[in-house]
Amino acid sequence: MAEKFHTELNNLRADTLEMAHLGRFMLRTAVDALIRQDAELAASVVAQKEEIHQMEVRLEEHCYHLIALNQPMAKDMRVIVCTLKVITASLRIGRYGKVIANIVKEISDKPHIANLMSIPHMADLVIDMVDDAVAAYESDNLRLIDDFSSRDDTIDALRHSIFREGISYMMEDPKNISRCTHYIMVARYLERCADHACKIAENVQYMETGERVEIH
Amino acid sequence: MSESAIITTNNVNLWYHEKQALQSVSIKIPRNRVTALIGPSGCGKSTLLRCFNRLNDLIDHVKCTGEITLDDENIYAPSTDVVTLRKKVGMVFQKPNPFPKSIYENVAYGPRVHGIRDKAELDRIVEQSLRHAAIWDEVKERLNDSALGLSGGQQQRLCIARTLAVEPEVILMDEPCSALDPIATAKIENLIERLKEDYTVIIVTHNMQQAARVSDYTGFMYLGRLIECGKTGQIFEHPKEELTENYITGRFG
Ligand SMILES: Nc1ncnc2c1ncn2[C@@H]1O[C@H](COP(=O)(O)OP(=O)(O)OP(=O)(O)O)[C@@H](O)[C@H]1O
Ligand SMILES: [Mg+2]
Repeated sequence: MAEKFHTELNNLRADTLEMAHLGRFMLRTAVDALIRQDAELAASVVAQKEEIHQMEVRLEEHCYHLIALNQPMAKDMRVIVCTLKVITASLRIGRYGKVIANIVKEISDKPHIANLMSIPHMADLVIDMVDDAVAAYESDNLRLIDDFSSRDDTIDALRHSIFREGISYMMEDPKNISRCTHYIMVARYLERCADHACKIAENVQYMETGERVEIH
Repeated sequence: MSESAIITTNNVNLWYHEKQALQSVSIKIPRNRVTALIGPSGCGKSTLLRCFNRLNDLIDHVKCTGEITLDDENIYAPSTDVVTLRKKVGMVFQKPNPFPKSIYENVAYGPRVHGIRDKAELDRIVEQSLRHAAIWDEVKERLNDSALGLSGGQQQRLCIARTLAVEPEVILMDEPCSALDPIATAKIENLIERLKEDYTVIIVTHNMQQAARVSDYTGFMYLGRLIECGKTGQIFEHPKEELTENYITGRFG
């Protein structure tokens, strides 16, 4: 009986990884579409919204089902708790991908201001965090996430600098206002994705050690 | 565990003939709390439980070393009166074992043995014990019927009432629900929750969910050793020892 449950738990984790990879893929693709001003690529991200949403529903149900039928304890319980958080975080990351993809459509008519400022660099760092958090969930390797606190600080600093730089371009020329507002929003979404990566990291830490930590 | 301990064992070893069944077990049982003992079959749970009221004395070729205190008194000291000890430390077994007598007589038996003769006093003890054991309403109309006519769950609660009648301090329960259906089990579990207001309960159970539901502290035993003992929430959420983790997640046992 326990064996069957543990097989199911492994399957749940594998399926959750797949969802996490989809969320990460939507975010990466949306940022690429933004950089290249590729409306078609952006539309492909928007089209994936339904798929990731259905994954969320299905995986959450699987978690509830496993809890109801097995009353998991100790590490088994912590794996399911962590998995539920990974599911939610992955959905959010994917949805921010979709939101960024929608912005691409609105601003692909004219070239970018200042080569998108630090947005491409910030996006690389955020996606690295998502990758490491998800890899830690996959491999139980806590070393991948031990510097998340300082990485999150870097992300906050980048968002702030994009904000200030955006404001200065707006003051230079009011025609930049709409475009720069979008950039500032994108930086904000990226920062939220880093927060979701931190949430995953916190829960992987809990899954592994039973200790609750908070990453700021 | 910072709570005051009612029973403390220090380095207890026990052998049946040559076979060692307990190995340097040191545990503190907090007063007015429920402590659960879990572990795979044969790990020594019942043996340890039987040490607490010296029921092992009744088995031939048992050798026990180490120290066990109840209220700071060594229960293996020569001066200890075993009858008084077993009055203080009552026991409820896996299979309900009422005497083939009336419901009333089952409960009145213990107090009588301990010298209570007054009818009104016995009536009072019987009613109060049956009430404490949450079975009064079900049997008050038929106290003179045979106890053997009760259902398994009722018999088990009657046995608990019989234990309560001699006013113990500690109640030992060795798999008290394993012969009961879920409803009877729920009644016993609710009862255990109430009993800890007045008594200390130590329960052996194979049902991990039951240990998690009813106990404040849980001890995990393996091959005669106490591997880990702590707050039940901690043991079932994140045990310190990998052995405990593997056992409660069903990876062996
Ligand atoms: N009367 C006895 N004579 C000889 N050996 C015994 C006796 N009682 C128990 N043992 C042995 O001592 C060890 C511990 O037994 P014990 O009954 O305490 O285990 P337990 O944890 O209660 O197991 P279970 O969950 O099956 O009830 C076992 O190896 C058992 O075979
Ligand atoms: Mg036993």
